[in-house]
Order: sequence, then structure tokens, then C-alpha cells
Amino acid sequence: MTDIAMTPQPPIATPKARTSPVQWVKANLFSSISNTIQTIVFTAITLGLMRALLGQVFAEDANWSSVATNLRLLMIYNYPADQIIRIWFSAGVVLFAAGLSLGAWKVEPGYTIGRLGRHLVGVGAFSLVLRLLLPVHAPGAIRTWLVIVGVVSLAIGLVVRRFDVSGDRVLGFGTVLGGFSVALLAVMWLVPFGQYGLVDGVLVAESGTTVASSTKVPWTILLIIVVVSHRVGVVLGRALGGSLRAALAAFWVVGPAFVIFVVLRDPAFDWSHVWSTDIPLAAMFALGGGAVIYLLAAPGRAELARGIGALMLVFALFNWIAAFFGWYPMLQKVRISFLIFAIVVLLVPAFAGDRSTRRRVAGGWVAAIAVLHWLITAINTESTLVITAPPFLGGFVLTVGIAYYVMLASFPLGVLLSLARTSKLPIFRVMSTGYIEVIRGVPLITVLFFFSIMLPLFLPKGMGISDLAAVFAGYTVFSAAYMAENVRGGLQSVRRGQYEAADALGLTTVQRTSLIVLPQALRVSIPNLVGQAIAVFKETSLIAIVGGFDLLRIANSTIPNQPDFLGQKRPGLLFISLVYFVFAYSMSKSSQRLEARLKDAQAR
Amino acid sequence: MSIADQALTEDLASRDDMIVCTGVSKWFDDFQALKGVDVTVKDREVMVVLGPSGSGKSTLIRCINRLEVHQEGSIIVDGIELTNDTRNIERIRSEVGMVFQQFNLFPHLSVIDNITLAPVWVRKKSKVEAEQKAMELLERVGIPEQAQKYPGQLSGGQQQRVAIARSLAMEPKVMLFDEPTSALDPEMIAEVLDVMKDLARGGMTMMVVTHEMGFAREVADRLVFMESGEVVEVGTPEHFFTNPREERTKLFLSQIL
Repeated sequence: MTDIAMTPQPPIATPKARTSPVQWVKANLFSSISNTIQTIVFTAITLGLMRALLGQVFAEDANWSSVATNLRLLMIYNYPADQIIRIWFSAGVVLFAAGLSLGAWKVEPGYTIGRLGRHLVGVGAFSLVLRLLLPVHAPGAIRTWLVIVGVVSLAIGLVVRRFDVSGDRVLGFGTVLGGFSVALLAVMWLVPFGQYGLVDGVLVAESGTTVASSTKVPWTILLIIVVVSHRVGVVLGRALGGSLRAALAAFWVVGPAFVIFVVLRDPAFDWSHVWSTDIPLAAMFALGGGAVIYLLAAPGRAELARGIGALMLVFALFNWIAAFFGWYPMLQKVRISFLIFAIVVLLVPAFAGDRSTRRRVAGGWVAAIAVLHWLITAINTESTLVITAPPFLGGFVLTVGIAYYVMLASFPLGVLLSLARTSKLPIFRVMSTGYIEVIRGVPLITVLFFFSIMLPLFLPKGMGISDLAAVFAGYTVFSAAYMAENVRGGLQSVRRGQYEAADALGLTTVQRTSLIVLPQALRVSIPNLVGQAIAVFKETSLIAIVGGFDLLRIANSTIPNQPDFLGQKRPGLLFISLVYFVFAYSMSKSSQRLEARLKDAQAR
Repeated sequence: MSIADQALTEDLASRDDMIVCTGVSKWFDDFQALKGVDVTVKDREVMVVLGPSGSGKSTLIRCINRLEVHQEGSIIVDGIELTNDTRNIERIRSEVGMVFQQFNLFPHLSVIDNITLAPVWVRKKSKVEAEQKAMELLERVGIPEQAQKYPGQLSGGQQQRVAIARSLAMEPKVMLFDEPTSALDPEMIAEVLDVMKDLARGGMTMMVVTHEMGFAREVADRLVFMESGEVVEVGTPEHFFTNPREERTKLFLSQIL
């Protein structure tokens, strides 16, 4: 048979007609009288607003050394200064993984030389406009630097635009990352920001020097780590492919928890207890459970697995009820592990297969149990850190940590809720709808108060919950309801034919959902899910109300109460606004890029 | 009845039953879509279902792999009766392939992944084995070079051929076709019909809802004409196209031919 159908051809790249800047301005800003008036009016308003903002930034009573001095407080709160190497180590681990991931997933922003030129011209022009708008009392150094930055980037930008005629030569991500790092390092090592700090409560300020080497050196190492690990990720990604990506995905689930609870918290393990109880317990669950899973995952044992799983689930739930009434003592770890084990056994038929598949499933179980038990043990062990002002996590680290784990936990919960809400079974539908509507009808602060004040009263005897865990639980419960609604929108966009095709092939409901429906639904939901992630990130500022020390609380109440900076709120608030904006904006940008990339791959 | 017809009828009678529908009825709310349909498809038989739109022909073949649930009567596929028992439904679905009017390929998976998905997850084949089989099937439907592309990058005819390959990868005993060429541009119909003819010659049991009379005449062993949820007439192509018995059949054929 001949292939008579035509194959769609890739579109031929046609060179874009280049318009000169003057032509562009004429066509877009001054094309008609009304357009000209609009351009002038809105330019005036924009300039006025920028002038007002600059007036705030350089107000005579705004003492920016309040921010410069308290940078460490804003970033890591009261983390002991002599242990600060742990912070740098953690940042190194996270950035190393980030670099590897960017390389392994071949993230390419498609940054062209033409765009670089345009951006440089933009930055240059913006700096010069800022220079003109500066209030009279702004420090002279700022004026000089704005002029230098403006002229230099304008010049380089124009040169780049002049000589790169095609303008579409793509710069690799490694190059962009390297260039960005070099620029950042140059600024850090060359520009005299001055050194500020509170040493034992006494303000030390030294202007005219570059940043302290205790900051410069670690940052230099971190940036080198990012650039190198990206390169390594590209090379390893080519060699290992899927297995590297799977390992990295696993790292992003447990890695940050490892960083927080083991590196930053430094648990004082009681090794005799670890050897006598913790390890044997973990081994029992890992090996015994692994063997059971291996046996039940054999084809044809689905019924048996479901039966055993159901029985175990009943027993596991009974264990929790018993814990609530204190009928018999049992380690929480055992209760949690057993519950998870029961659920996994119930789901085993979906992963049934030949020997190698079964071995992989059982291996996954052993790894999961090892990580879980080790984390629970680490969390339940006292920290060795001596912390003067109690919460050991605060500032930016707290904001990012909470936001990250709330997103990580509320996402699967939200997916389950949305599936339940669209399920055919009325009991699931009613329960999930009730949950979602109740949570969405209640303000976040109420949920947080409930979890931090009321929840401890409802917990079984002998089971406490730390403030941080309560806040985390509250946020997760809240965010999951919104995630669920976002995913439901995606689920509704999956056509009926997709369900029918999956059914007609004999896929089970679990397989149909996880292999066909969810991948398509989630793709559609990306913009909304990222919107929710940004909301979670910003709403972490409510931690302050239930006792946490996040960025907002430090800027709004800790700094203004320091004797050296009494009442200095403005610089701190402006600074944290910038931090929030930079992160929220990059998330939104990356989601756009992810969408474009998925669309490209399918060419729909 | 001609001699050739006689021989075919006797041959069919001697074969095993593959699909047996007895008194199948189906309601959508108040509307009765199937009114006690009796149809038997024999092993290796190609049966074409004809009828005006709304006659229940699509509903009938969708009942056979339980995409629709019939409320009365019985459907037995390869000796297994379709009941609410999930195990029976899963068994029947993995033995009955289905090709849809709208192709219904999975847009987020490449062509090869579309084909290997069910063999790997339902039949528990190894990935390598499934891919080998998938490449053979793509060869058979004439588009091995499209294996790594996504459905959105293919023409309608190519997509439908991938859909057929996807069903065949499960090594089904029966293939159901629900108007497989109705959503295609005219120039792509032939390539899909060629694949189906090939399949019929290879001895596949097929039940095909179609308006392609040329195909019906050339390939079908028997035709069924349905109208408003009832089977009006069953017969060989020769019988149908030369002297149909029922007035309604004659009217329909005169409109469509």
C-alpha cells in the first residue's frame, strides 16, 4: 500500500521584515491623533507613578541600611551564626539539583541574540529614565551608577543589534546562565555596596567597601555549582535519560525535606535506639512488605490483592481509632506505615506485570519506606541547634519551605479531590464537593487558626503537632480545595472519546485515569495550577498571624523594633515586595514556557 | 438464492458463533434506541451494518464492548456473557478492538506509545516486545515512518490507520468499526478502507458500521439493515443489492446508491 496522504510539512522560516525603531514608534505610538494623545497621557501617568515610587524609595527618612543590615535576618531569621555553613550547604544541594534538572530536562528558553540586544537597550534606556526621575536628595553614588549602567548596556545593546543582522541566533541555556552568573559576580565583587551587620546587637556599618567576603565567597561557589551542574545535567541526561530524570524527580520530593530536617535541624540521633528499634522496624516493613507486594503483583492475583488490601485497610483504620481512644499503645510510625502499606496493596493490581516490573515495584516500596522512616525519625528527634529566638526556621527560608511543601502536598490531594468530585460514585462526589465548597467558603486565616489552635485539642493522646506542622497542614487543606477546582476544569476539557478509547482497549479505571485522562487534564490546567502556586507563595505571609516569622513579619515588626532602626518599615516592605514579585513573576514566566513547550511537542 | 449465496450460508452456519445478540433493547431516558435486536456474527465473518442515522447501528456495536449498557436481552462475545461483572467486561474489551469515527488517539502520546500502551499495561507485555509488534503493525498499515510523531502531526487518514494498529496490537478476536471513514476527507477514505479490506482478507471477524457501499459490496459476508432500533433485513451483499425483500430496505438503498 502506498502512502497517499500528505505529510504536514514544517513551516518554512521566513525572515521577518525588520522595521527601524523610528518606523515602529510611528506605526504603534503616533499613528493617529487619538493614538498620540493616548501615548502622551499614559506615558505621563507612568512616569508620574515611577517618580512617586522613587520618592518612596529615596525618602529622606527611609534608612536603607535597615534592610542591608538585616539581610541575614530576612533570609534565615535567627539561625545560629556559627552553624551558617549548614545554610550554605543546603543552598548548594538545592542549586546543584536545580542545575542538574535544568540540564537533564533540556530546558531551553530559546533566548536569541536579537532578544539579548533588545533587553540590553531596554535596561539601558530604563536606567537613564530612572536617573532623570531621581529625587534631588538621592545619594550621588546611585546617580553615577545609573548613568554607568545605562550608557554601558545601551551601547552594548545597540552594538549587538547592529551586528547581529538576523537576530535569531539562539543562545544556549548554559550560555545564558553562565553570562548571568558572571554579571552577578562582577557586580558583587566590584560594586561598593558597603558592609552592614548587627554583631551581638551592635550595628556595624562600613560603607565604601564591596560586600563582605563571608557573603561573596559562598555566593561565588553557589553560582559556579549552578553553571557546572547544568552542564553535567546536559551530559548525564544524554547518557542516562529517563533514569536520571526519575532520580531527580524523587529528589525534588524528599530532598528539600532532607535539607530542612536533617541538614538545617541537625537531629541528635540516639543511636542505640535507632539500632534497636528504628532500623529493625523499617527493615521489617521494607522487606516484609516488599515480599508481599512482589507476590501479589503477579498477574492473576488481582482479586487476592484487593481482598487482602481491603482487610488490611480496615485493620489500619481500626489502629487509628484505637489510637484516638488510647486502647493500646503503638508507635505512630507503625500506624502510618501500616496504613500506607494497606493502600499500596490495594493498588498493587494496577502495577502487576512480569518479573522485572514486580521487582521494580517492590524496590520502589523498599526505597519509599526507607526514606519515610528515616524522615519520621529525624523529625521526632531533638535538634542539636541552640536557637536564641525559638522558631529555628524563619524569613525567606520559611516562606519558600512552606510554600514548596504546601504545593507538593496539596497537588496530589487536589487531584484526588477533583477525581472524586467528577466520579460516578455518589458518596465520593458528595464528600469531595462538600469539602471543596466548605473550604472555599472559609477565609484562609480561619483555617490557619483552626489548625494551629483547635487541631491540637482533637489529636489522640500523646500525639502533638508543632506550630510549623499545623500551619503546613492548614495551608495544604486550604490549597488542595483550590487545586481541585483547577484540575476539575482540566478534567472537563478531556473529550469523551478519550475515555471510550481507553475503555475499549481494556484499561482499568485506575490506568485510564493515570495514563490517559490526568496527563491531558493537567496539561490544560497548568496556567491555573501555577496561578494557585503563586497564590500559595504569596499567602505564606499569613504565617505571621499564627506565630511564624516570615518575610512580612520581619519587615513589618521585627526590624522597626530594633533600636537602630526604630519605625523603619518602608525600606523593608519595599524590599520584600521586590522579593515576592521576582519569584512570582519567574514562576508565571516558566509556566508560559512549559505550556509552549508542551504545545510544541504535540503540535496540536 | 443463488448457488454462491447458498454455499456461503452453509459455510457460515458451520462456524462458531463470535457475537450473539438476543433480544437486545436499550433506552436513552424515554427514547428506545434498540428494540429487541437479534444478530449473530460468526467467526471470521465480516458483517456490515447499514441504516439511516439514528437507526441504532452505532448504539448496537457500542453495546457489544459495553461502551453503552443494554437493559434487556443478552450479548455473548466469544462465549462470555456481558453482565455487570467488571471482570467479564475487562476480558471482553481486551478481546474486542474498536475503531471510532473520531479516531480518539491519545494526543499526549506519540504514535508508537499509543500502540504499545494497552499491550504493556493490559497484556503485561515487555516494552521491547510491544514496540516490535507495534512497528510490524505500522508496517502493515503503511506508515512505519510516523512512529515517533504525535497524532496532531498526522493527517486524518493516517490517524485512523494508527487507531486500527492500536486496536490490532491487543490481538483482538473481533474488530468493531464505528463509521471509520465518516470524519475523513474524501481523498483519505481509500487508504483506510484498504487497510480494512486487508484485515478482512486475513480472516478477522469484523462488524462494521459504514456508509461505504462499495466496501460493503466487496468485503462483507453479510449485511444487516437497521431502522429505528430494529433489524429490518439480514442477507448477503448479492441479495441486498440485487433484490432486497423489504420495502424499507429498497427505499434506503435507492436513496444512498
